[in-house]
Amino acid sequence: MKSKNNLHEMDAKIQTLKKAAQELKDSSDDFPAVFRNCSRILASIKMLEINVSDLIQENRG
Amino acid sequence: MIRSQRYWNPAVETMPHSEIRRLQLRKFQRIFKWTYDNSRFHRRLYDQAGVRPSDIHSFDDIRRIPCVEKSMMRSVQRKDPFPYGDPLAVPLEEVVEFRQTSGTTGQPVYQADTWQDWEWWAESWAYIMWAQGYRPKDRVFLPFGYNVFVAFWAAHYATEKLGAEIVPGGVLDTQARILKIQELQATAMMATPTYVLSMADTARQKMGIDPRELGIQRITCAGEPGASIPSTKQRMEEAWNAKVYDHAGATEIGAWCYECEEQSGGLHVNEAFFLVEIQDIETGEYIVEPGRRGKMIITALDRIGQPCVRFDSKDVIEWQEESCPWGRTFRLIKGGVIGRADDITKVKGVLLSPSAIEEVVRGVDGLGDEFEIIVDKVGDIDRISLKVEIDKGKEDQRTAIETELKDQLRLKTNLRYKLEFHDYGTLPRYEVKAKRFKDLRKGH
Repeated sequence: MKSKNNLHEMDAKIQTLKKAAQELKDSSDDFPAVFRNCSRILASIKMLEINVSDLIQENRG
Repeated sequence: MIRSQRYWNPAVETMPHSEIRRLQLRKFQRIFKWTYDNSRFHRRLYDQAGVRPSDIHSFDDIRRIPCVEKSMMRSVQRKDPFPYGDPLAVPLEEVVEFRQTSGTTGQPVYQADTWQDWEWWAESWAYIMWAQGYRPKDRVFLPFGYNVFVAFWAAHYATEKLGAEIVPGGVLDTQARILKIQELQATAMMATPTYVLSMADTARQKMGIDPRELGIQRITCAGEPGASIPSTKQRMEEAWNAKVYDHAGATEIGAWCYECEEQSGGLHVNEAFFLVEIQDIETGEYIVEPGRRGKMIITALDRIGQPCVRFDSKDVIEWQEESCPWGRTFRLIKGGVIGRADDITKVKGVLLSPSAIEEVVRGVDGLGDEFEIIVDKVGDIDRISLKVEIDKGKEDQRTAIETELKDQLRLKTNLRYKLEFHDYGTLPRYEVKAKRFKDLRKGH
């Protein structure tokens, strides 16, 4: 199994990605091409959270 | 390097099982709260039972939560938010995918998915395909009708996700599909066991093509239990000279279990994505030990649009004693989905499972792939009629075949049958899910 440290490092990068994608989405509600693509990127980031972050996070929503 | 990695997710697929259980409990608490907060249908159900998210601290607590059955969904759908009704847990504008159940057991149930749910479907299929040896070098042919039924749709997107090449064989007839496999040198395909056998038959009988020479190396099955029935699996593997793997999934649930390359006789439950509970059909007792059959209650731990929380699937399963020799720690269910709780019925006082009959028929040399089981009554006595076909060129061996079939049926099912032998090619052929079992008794 991947070490917990490794997973924590991955999770930190995932959260950075998520924050950036969410901020871009929030700033683009009049720019459909950006807004909708950000929605899809966030869905993919959720898969990263399921695969990595959920394994180490006790209470992340 | 990534191609030699055995696991799609090496962290969770080898996690000690005690940690997987803790993960499941955390994820169940999260999806239950989401469902309670966002789906009016579920909230009503849980309020009536007096169960709230703050009550759930253990697996025992989870068992207090009422189950959802397909029939309950039928009665609340086709209403606003149309057509899903109030099981929907997201605003309608977040729904991007519509699918529906086949309607085999009644009015179809509609299923809404958000894009996140659809990513999740593909993700669960990526676990399956990677465990079955699919890699970016593969060219995967999908010979199914791309329509309102979920079938292999998520496998299509999982193929893209893991970097392999997808060939959508949708609106083609069987012969055109076989020619396309040949033309493109596809390395893998997916279909119901019925269709896998039917394609091989068409190639041999109508096209003069030996399916073993088409180059298909692996086949993933769904929709019927056949790929976990040893004699049916063997027929498919011999017909195509390919490895055949089983998986199980459902529209309302997701792709929840799969056979890995080891083919250890069991299917792994993807326990990072699903919580599976097994309940004794007659007593309602929960079964945690291997070797006892019951019906499956299942929760999809990450599905948000139209949640699947403690869904009474009616699938009959049992835990397998042995663990996976490859080290994957997701638990195995023995022999896959053994049957449906509503198909396994008492005949002459004995439990009859159509899968057990399939295992016998497909294990007798000289019998064709098709068969039909009809249960009716003569007076007050149950009668089972079994219709089979003699393979082409084996007609002169009928007496020996009949003796073998009778012996095996008595041995494996402990029942007697009225046997009907038909000419090859005269019983109904199916392209998707076969309907080979008919119970015509009153009340069935």
